[in-house]
Amino acid sequence: MTGYWVSVVGEDWRWRAFPVRGDYGAVPLNQAARQIADTWDPAKDVAAGEACKAFAAPSVMRIPGRLHITWQDDQTLKIETDSGKQTRLFYFANLPENKGEDFQGASKAEWDLGNAGAGGLFFGRGGAAAGPSGSLKVVTNRMKAGYATRNGVPFSNNATLTEYFDLVKEKSGVEYLILTSTLEDPTYMSQPMWTATHFKKQSDATNFTPVSCDGK
Amino acid sequence: MKIYLLVGVLLIAGATIGAQVQAPGASPENGPGLGPMVAGTDFSGSWRPQQLVTESQTAAGDLADFGGIPLNDAARVYALSWPASRQTVRQHQCMGYVTPYFWYAPANYRIWEERDPFTQRLVSWRFYGQIAQGDRTVYMDGRPHPPAYAPHTFAGFSTGEYQGNTLTVTTTHLKRGWIKANGVPQSDATTVVEHFVRHGDNITVLAVIDDPVYLTEPLSKASLLVRMAKDPDAWLYPCDDSEQIFGRKSDVVPNHLFGQNPYAREYADRRKQPLLAALGGAETMYPELANAIRDTTAAENLAKARMMPSGPPGVSRAPDPTPRDGEIHTMRVSGDVYLLAGDGANIAVQVGPQGAFVVDTGSGKLADKVIAAIAKLSAKPIQFILNTTFRPDHTGGNAKLQMAGADPSVTGSFFSMQFQGAGVGATIISQLNTQSRMVEQKLPAPPSDTFAEDRRRKYYNGEAVEAFPMPNATTDGDSIVHFRRADVIVAGDIFTTTEYPHIDTKNGGSLQGEINALNFILDRTVYIHDEDGGTMIIPGHGRVTDEWEVAEYRDMLVIIRDRVQAMIKAGATLQQTLASRPTFDYDVRYGATSGPWTTNMFVEAVYTSLKNPPKTENAR
Repeated sequence: MTGYWVSVVGEDWRWRAFPVRGDYGAVPLNQAARQIADTWDPAKDVAAGEACKAFAAPSVMRIPGRLHITWQDDQTLKIETDSGKQTRLFYFANLPENKGEDFQGASKAEWDLGNAGAGGLFFGRGGAAAGPSGSLKVVTNRMKAGYATRNGVPFSNNATLTEYFDLVKEKSGVEYLILTSTLEDPTYMSQPMWTATHFKKQSDATNFTPVSCDGK
Repeated sequence: MKIYLLVGVLLIAGATIGAQVQAPGASPENGPGLGPMVAGTDFSGSWRPQQLVTESQTAAGDLADFGGIPLNDAARVYALSWPASRQTVRQHQCMGYVTPYFWYAPANYRIWEERDPFTQRLVSWRFYGQIAQGDRTVYMDGRPHPPAYAPHTFAGFSTGEYQGNTLTVTTTHLKRGWIKANGVPQSDATTVVEHFVRHGDNITVLAVIDDPVYLTEPLSKASLLVRMAKDPDAWLYPCDDSEQIFGRKSDVVPNHLFGQNPYAREYADRRKQPLLAALGGAETMYPELANAIRDTTAAENLAKARMMPSGPPGVSRAPDPTPRDGEIHTMRVSGDVYLLAGDGANIAVQVGPQGAFVVDTGSGKLADKVIAAIAKLSAKPIQFILNTTFRPDHTGGNAKLQMAGADPSVTGSFFSMQFQGAGVGATIISQLNTQSRMVEQKLPAPPSDTFAEDRRRKYYNGEAVEAFPMPNATTDGDSIVHFRRADVIVAGDIFTTTEYPHIDTKNGGSLQGEINALNFILDRTVYIHDEDGGTMIIPGHGRVTDEWEVAEYRDMLVIIRDRVQAMIKAGATLQQTLASRPTFDYDVRYGATSGPWTTNMFVEAVYTSLKNPPKTENAR
């Protein structure tokens, strides 16, 4: 998984690239959430120093941009995003006591080998790196309330984000990182919010241009 | 206790070994392989698409929303010429779903595996979709994909393999379908690779569409399925087409002329989105899209330019399915009718207890091999040869095939005195004008047995065989042949899958006659289900098809006719018409800038025959 990745925006471009207030499509919002989303004002967020609400863990992976994935140490995988300049840390060992209460929350990672078939296992960092056989599962909570989509659909600090990362490689050599995520929020959502997002592997850091949440 | 432990260890060891040992693969000698010894993830069950992800990718799609799709300029113009009313055309009403569009239907899916009852090896995964009753088989037993000249279907031909916990499926032989049902086409030259990953009650599908005709780079799209705990009842989707607009002629295909789509910017305006982004292109897939629209005036101007034909002349990017290895390739099409490909134009052969009935004889360069191939199908001689046109790539083998055959019904009878060569070898049949052209042009072995305005019919090898003259289609001597029991129509050059129709105006060809001929074929065809199968078509050149491709070809010619007609009406010269690029969106599939039949030659034939149509083009 390590290296640089670019998000492939695809046919959801309207929601991901140029979000408009009130255009929350099929997100399973309840009435309370709808009221918040309908009054979304990004200028107010910037003024309040909360521009990064839209770059929280549930939404930052959907915002068009690039990722840089590295191992911070043998037990911690780090994802840096150029959009919003966010850093996500996935802990394979115990979560640090003080982690969380920010927009990226506290993320516990494990290799999910339950579906592993033929192909063998590769042992390495994070206990047992999955190689081609398994998935990376990450569960994030203790997030500061923010936006689940870029256009102000709220999630609360009760939310839990479960993500699976899978790698596939085309015969052409192109590699894709597939992210399947489920956001569960008893405060604002009537049912889980599922998304499937993918990224294409980049050969280097070209166009990885960190820009802060307020666009500076 | 120890015994149990030992058994457990052995089972684990066996599974591990099984996971690493590859099953025997396919080979021509052994037939299909046995399939993997150990399957990977179990995908079986009932599923539904998750609407959040697919909200923008459902069956419909908004008009003129092509964003996120790396479509080329031709595909964009193609999509902009598409009105929703196209779906009132008979052949469009029950159009099937190609993959990965298959997964975006708002309905139920069932996935199951099929195993060999004797070995329990995994033979295939089966995917069934309720909408359009999409029925896909993903072969896991190592069998090869069919040859390029084999028919295509909406399901395509799929093979799969496990890569760890991922099932990777490769699909070829797809029909022209939709990337998005708002007119964004996916060509029949497309290869789709799908990666399936399961996490609990979710399946994530990443599909990569590689379409050399309509995309500038592969399109990747992710979608999500959610397992349904209870199998739903709704699984069928009966679809019979019908008249939608009374009194409308069959040569009407709704379309927007270049630059005249009234809804071209509706989506962008209504959704407050940049028009340039809505019109798609590779840059709309990536984060750099935001930079592309920063200068709003430049972006708007660029968007407007992209709605019209531009750039260098396009040439076909679809591979020619014709084998060119110096061998004759035989494929059963249906019943007792076979395709022989490899020597110029396609050859069709019907065999049975009476002998062989051959339609067209190819270029003649491989005539000996054609005769040998027919001899493998029939121990009886070639009794009849029918030429669908006079062109040498269809008649070049006449002499050799005729002499290799025999027509006992003529030999020694008074019929043998009616024409030079009659009664010697096989009898060659054609429409009268084809005979005349061959005689005029001193082509060898012209037909001895002709028909003019009405059908020629025979009951041969237990099957009704009808030949219909098609006045003023590609020439004034074309005909088609319908083998009625096998339900195979041999179309000659009236229909090819490789180029624009070779309308030879000097020899009586005309665009309207060609369109009429295609509609005549479509009046005789019946599909099995959702525009798949049923009556099979052997084209003059290219791969075997069914009615869907004939309808597509007809649609294209009607749309080009409408564009050229509009130019003529506006007083345009031939040069002005050529400069307007009336075939722009089809050149990437059928165009040529060199060779015996270029795009410009075709447009000139269209222009000429519309300005001065032959009197008999509507004779049928």
